[in-house]
Amino acid sequence: MSPGAALGFLPTDSFNVVVLIGVFVLISLGLHFTFGLLNVVNLAHGEFLLIGAYTAFQVQEATGNVVLGILLAPVVAGTVGILIERGILRPLYERPLDSLLATFGLAVIIRQVVQLIYSANPRTVQDAIGGSIAVAGFNVPWWRLVVVIATVGLVALVSVILARTSFGLHARATVRNPALAETMGINVGLMRAALFALGSAVAGLAGALLAPINTLDPQFGLLFLVNAFLVVILGGQGSLRGLVIAGALLGGTLSILQFVISTVYAQIIVLVIAILAVRLRPVLAARIAAYRDRRSPAQGPGPGSAGKAVTAGAPRHG
Amino acid sequence: MLDVSGLHAGYGSSTVLRDVSLEVLPGQVVCLMGRNGAGKTTLLRALMGVLSKTGRVQLDGRDVTGWKGHRINAAGMVWVPQEDSVFPGLTVREHLLIAFGRREGDAGLAAAAALFPILGDRMGQEAQTLSGGERKMLGIAQALIVHPKLVLMDEPTEGVAPIIVEQLLPAIRMLTQSAAVLLVEQNIDMALALGSHAYVLEHGTIVESGDIRRLQDDGVLERRLAL
Repeated sequence: MSPGAALGFLPTDSFNVVVLIGVFVLISLGLHFTFGLLNVVNLAHGEFLLIGAYTAFQVQEATGNVVLGILLAPVVAGTVGILIERGILRPLYERPLDSLLATFGLAVIIRQVVQLIYSANPRTVQDAIGGSIAVAGFNVPWWRLVVVIATVGLVALVSVILARTSFGLHARATVRNPALAETMGINVGLMRAALFALGSAVAGLAGALLAPINTLDPQFGLLFLVNAFLVVILGGQGSLRGLVIAGALLGGTLSILQFVISTVYAQIIVLVIAILAVRLRPVLAARIAAYRDRRSPAQGPGPGSAGKAVTAGAPRHG
Repeated sequence: MLDVSGLHAGYGSSTVLRDVSLEVLPGQVVCLMGRNGAGKTTLLRALMGVLSKTGRVQLDGRDVTGWKGHRINAAGMVWVPQEDSVFPGLTVREHLLIAFGRREGDAGLAAAAALFPILGDRMGQEAQTLSGGERKMLGIAQALIVHPKLVLMDEPTEGVAPIIVEQLLPAIRMLTQSAAVLLVEQNIDMALALGSHAYVLEHGTIVESGDIRRLQDDGVLERRLAL
């Protein structure tokens, strides 16, 4: 008997684990840009998901075409993002407490505006593709499969943009040394605006994709905010690979524990894991670095100067 | 080429540079000298738009005082900063690609490798793990390959072993032959070898200027630099 079967796990439960991992990664991907790269403690991140979700709802109500709504969601959220970045956050990059306060205020304002327009009543966004598909003998809801596939696609797209394009190279240079980037010809202000807009757009798309499998009301974004920050922080701020691993760890653990224990205990245990991981990460990182140094002693500074190798503290991509 | 007049700059409320005026003519190598803390690097940072400033800075007759760094760079003025100025986590290849863009592509990378073969061997290595001398090679290669009009160079041989200085010097001379240079240099021999004119900074103010050999012969450099 397999361990899963011993716990009473059905194949559909395994798929739900995959879905929750996908959700954790999806809700964090936009925050990778705004917080992970730009270092803005963006407490309005959940509201960009909210804007995306209500865009899908609005277009669905107006045209009956939810797919069009999902496609427009990143455009609307990205536009709002660029307006907020240019209008409010632009002078606050070196003032983290002020940007935290500003994004907190923005989050409240956006929620209130949505409530004024749509009321606090729950709304429903239809699945663009209803029904389910039989996979390995069990039924998988189509839309949840779409969410997982879209998440994988988005992670791949973001990874390619950041690692393989000139834009990505300039973005990485900007976040690591903005003053040097500026003097080497990169328009740092424009790059920051583009990154914030991208993060907002990705969050908007995530909101639209998740709206059909959640209750949509003005508190929708708050559902995801804490978990998104947990994933980005646990994964290592600025690390896309770390984000995916942290999303898998937290989403997977939460969904399994919800099944075998209870939702309340599951959330407590996941938070304890996150705290321990953040607490122990520097120690583990130092041991891994020492191990690597022992394995490749020839690596390191080249000959000929009083210069020293600087190895600490940089956010990484990969 | 570069005409600076009445420049004031500093960090926050602390003023470091006071009423600095200087001129760099086309093809000229001008040395900026002074003791540690005199404000030499601050002046280069202010000229590159990293620090806010008052006064007037003209490049090729255009007022660039309020310009941001990327516009100043696009106008042909580039900065070779001290060795610590690299992007953590980015490779040597990526640093070069940022400097000259992907359009130059392999040709630019090959030119950098031809200039400093050791950089060619280390293209995939993170720049922060290079030695100080190699980081200076990288900075010079970045500047040389983009064919600038004016280079602001911050102590290109400071703290570097003599054997590495020998490798750096031909490239520095290539730069001085192809562009005007404002060179921060504390080593008098190096300044005399490369420069034709010098300004001496003390406490953020220009206190001496003129032909560098005359300043040396008159004992001004020795006195001002407390050698």
